[in-house]
Amino acid sequence: MGKRFRRTREFIGRHPRAASLSAVAIALAFLWATPASWQTSTLRLAVPIALAAIGGIFAEKSGVINIGIEGLLIVSAFSSIIAVYWLGDGGATMGVSNLWWGLLVGILVSVLFALIFAIVCIEFKADQIIAGLAIWLISLGLAPFASRIVFGSPNTASVARFGSVTVPGLSEIPIVGYLLFDTEPQVYLMLAGTVAGWYLLSRTTFGRWVVASGENPKALDTAGVDVRKVRYAAVLLSGVFAGLGGAGFALGTLGTFAGGGDTAINGRGFIAIATYLLANYHPVGAVLSSFLFAGLNSLQTALQSAGYAIPTELIRTIPHMSVIVVLVLVGRTRLPDAAGDHYESGED
Amino acid sequence: MTKPGPGTTDGAELAAGSEVDTADRGTGTGEAGTDLAVHLDGITKRFPGVVANDDVDLRVERGSVHALLGENGAGKTTLMNVLYGLYEPEAGRVVVDGTEHGFGSPQDAIDAGIGMIHQHFMLVDSMTVAENIALGNEPTKWFGMAVDREQIAREIDDLCDRYGFDVDPEATVEDLSVGVQQRVEILKALFRGTDVLILDEPTAVLTPQEVEDLYDVLDELTAQGKTVIFITHKLEEATHAADAITILRDGESVGTVAPERTDREDLAERMVGREVLLEVDADPVTTGKVVLSTRNVAVEDARGVDVVSGIDLDVRAGEIVGIAGVDGNGQAELIEAITGLRTPDAGTIAYEGTDITDWSRRRRIDAGMSYIPEDRHERGLVMPFDLVENSILGSQRSPEFAADGRIDWTAVRDYTDDLIDTYDVRPPDADADASSFSGGNQQKFIVGREFERDPSLVIATYPTRGVDIGSTEFIHDRLLELRREGVAIVLVSSKLDEVQALSDRLAVMYEGEFIDVTDPDAITEEELGLLMAGQQVDETGKGASDAGTVGTNGGESR
Repeated sequence: MGKRFRRTREFIGRHPRAASLSAVAIALAFLWATPASWQTSTLRLAVPIALAAIGGIFAEKSGVINIGIEGLLIVSAFSSIIAVYWLGDGGATMGVSNLWWGLLVGILVSVLFALIFAIVCIEFKADQIIAGLAIWLISLGLAPFASRIVFGSPNTASVARFGSVTVPGLSEIPIVGYLLFDTEPQVYLMLAGTVAGWYLLSRTTFGRWVVASGENPKALDTAGVDVRKVRYAAVLLSGVFAGLGGAGFALGTLGTFAGGGDTAINGRGFIAIATYLLANYHPVGAVLSSFLFAGLNSLQTALQSAGYAIPTELIRTIPHMSVIVVLVLVGRTRLPDAAGDHYESGED
Repeated sequence: MTKPGPGTTDGAELAAGSEVDTADRGTGTGEAGTDLAVHLDGITKRFPGVVANDDVDLRVERGSVHALLGENGAGKTTLMNVLYGLYEPEAGRVVVDGTEHGFGSPQDAIDAGIGMIHQHFMLVDSMTVAENIALGNEPTKWFGMAVDREQIAREIDDLCDRYGFDVDPEATVEDLSVGVQQRVEILKALFRGTDVLILDEPTAVLTPQEVEDLYDVLDELTAQGKTVIFITHKLEEATHAADAITILRDGESVGTVAPERTDREDLAERMVGREVLLEVDADPVTTGKVVLSTRNVAVEDARGVDVVSGIDLDVRAGEIVGIAGVDGNGQAELIEAITGLRTPDAGTIAYEGTDITDWSRRRRIDAGMSYIPEDRHERGLVMPFDLVENSILGSQRSPEFAADGRIDWTAVRDYTDDLIDTYDVRPPDADADASSFSGGNQQKFIVGREFERDPSLVIATYPTRGVDIGSTEFIHDRLLELRREGVAIVLVSSKLDEVQALSDRLAVMYEGEFIDVTDPDAITEEELGLLMAGQQVDETGKGASDAGTVGTNGGESR
């Protein structure tokens, strides 16, 4: 197995153009052969995973492992629903649909939690894994609790969801048009977020600093850049992406927030972590692998409704199993050298 | 100044003959007239309990190479950190280009044209050369929306042309040799418009050839009007590369000299504060029985490539066998096989006549095998442990310290205090974590621990790495003392003068094999360098080397 992977990689290295052309061809054939409803549902299910993964990449690349990303999805999903409920379901405030205000509130609450996490990790040098778990556990308890106070039940009331927006012209493109240009706002945001995340990380000054901060913070510090600021910015950015993912998922796909058990988010934040590890921290790769997991999820739902009872639990192990398989066979995931380490300027 | 001998009178003596000192004498009268790139005036920097710099003056002329010479802990790095804005001095002025500065941070110093290259490179290994050079200073395009990679590449090309560097901007730093990485660091400083370049122990990590290249680079830099200050404790470097040498001892400046007006003995005496014997006196060797004997030892690396093959080595009681070679030619793997850290893939290792190839590390230690590891952080010490705990690593089960399965900490502490005292570990604080000591003091402590184990075989790899000359002299003396006591010693070092001076026999290792075993006194440093590069010495040289192996085992040279 390992040998075959290596050979494929060598082929890609030697013929980059042929490789990307054949990848596009395979993708188009795949899209042509599979049902449109499954594709649409996959894209919608991928929203929280993909955006949380991009957020997680920024945090971890800067040296702060944000394992609390699941918690950020939970609080942003919940707070966006409750904001819409309070502002008035189906209404508008200051001329803008309450759904958009809900999205904004979800992002802000997620950023707030990310800020708490950042302060605890960067200022007080708490263990990042423990602090991240705390963020998750607090969110896991807080959201159903708040829901119980407001609605008397861990599940919130339902609100109207985002409707789909059709881009005239572009949506007529065969095979991909209906998928990419006749869809809901949160999917557009995910696609835009992917490009923005990739660009920010690989092409801008800030992206360079984030990478350096996670690999060798001392080098960045001696180069005259404040490592703390870079890490704060990266963690807050992970809050923005996760908030967009959580709120977009709640307002676009769910329309409600179920607070029972693992909540409506149901481990998608952890799958996001598996996703970016699988993609070795590449934002586009992470989004593509989130499609893989979302696709399996959607397939399982479809099979179940068709009468084939495949246990959900089994399907949910797939992302984590595949990370292990990829790590063993391909072994290309490389954690940033300083991930998980505290950094204090002037200390040796 | 409590010590007798050289000291306060130095300045006057020197000033009589040296033009550099003429400047020194003018302290306090202002900078007018002299073209000084840097003038540190009366710098005092205190740390809790220590005065790291005590009223130190430093005058560096523009376009010159200025060496800052001193032992470990003399305050060289502290002084440069003051200049680089990392520390704020309690007293004194920092004058750069005739303007007084109060640097609050390295950024201020960088802005004033000062660049510092630290002993441990500040490079991001996974990024490219270009990304590293521009880090923190990236030119941007599209209103700051993107890093202007073309401009970075262009500027690096210009710098490389100007200074004659050959560095591929697209290479990843982790793939580069240490020498090239250092050049990347220099480029990084130049990219920022540095005029005064500070190098902290620049040769510590370089091979002899890379050191020569570095000297060329320094010449090129000063020829282009840049000023270089380099920190060193190596006399040869100071006299070879510098235009002026300022010597620090115990935080005080003991004068500035021109290299052509001094010699190594004089410099060493000023540095240490007493007379130092630079040459080692090795008595003629009186060897006993064979203590260590390897036959046909081979080691494969993870990829299945032979990194050590066919090594036959006999070490007798009372002799020092040196192993010289460029790093990475199998020395590390051979030593690991002998010490039991790695199982050889072929061959046998015998110790005092017994086959120990399958013995565990613990059994080897108990049998009297001492080991000074190459990497003191990785293998020599547990960094977060204090010295008391570190002192019994390896002897934690010996009856001296452990009875009934419990460690007698009182006995261990007494033993640690003895070690600290005998081996002059500074500061003498047994309760301090190993990580809080400087590299040289950590090394002295490890050497002490391993030597005091009462060994019959000592494997010493790079025993004086990062240690100043005073302590190096002491470690060398102890090695020779052990040899007189009949201990068998294997010495691995990349310092040619060290292996040559101490060894009774010298094996040169190249690509996993002993290319030659020779009498170190019968070979010149040049011949040794050629051997290390894998070339056989011509017939006359071979004759000498054959003579050296008489009476020992044959078959060393493949």
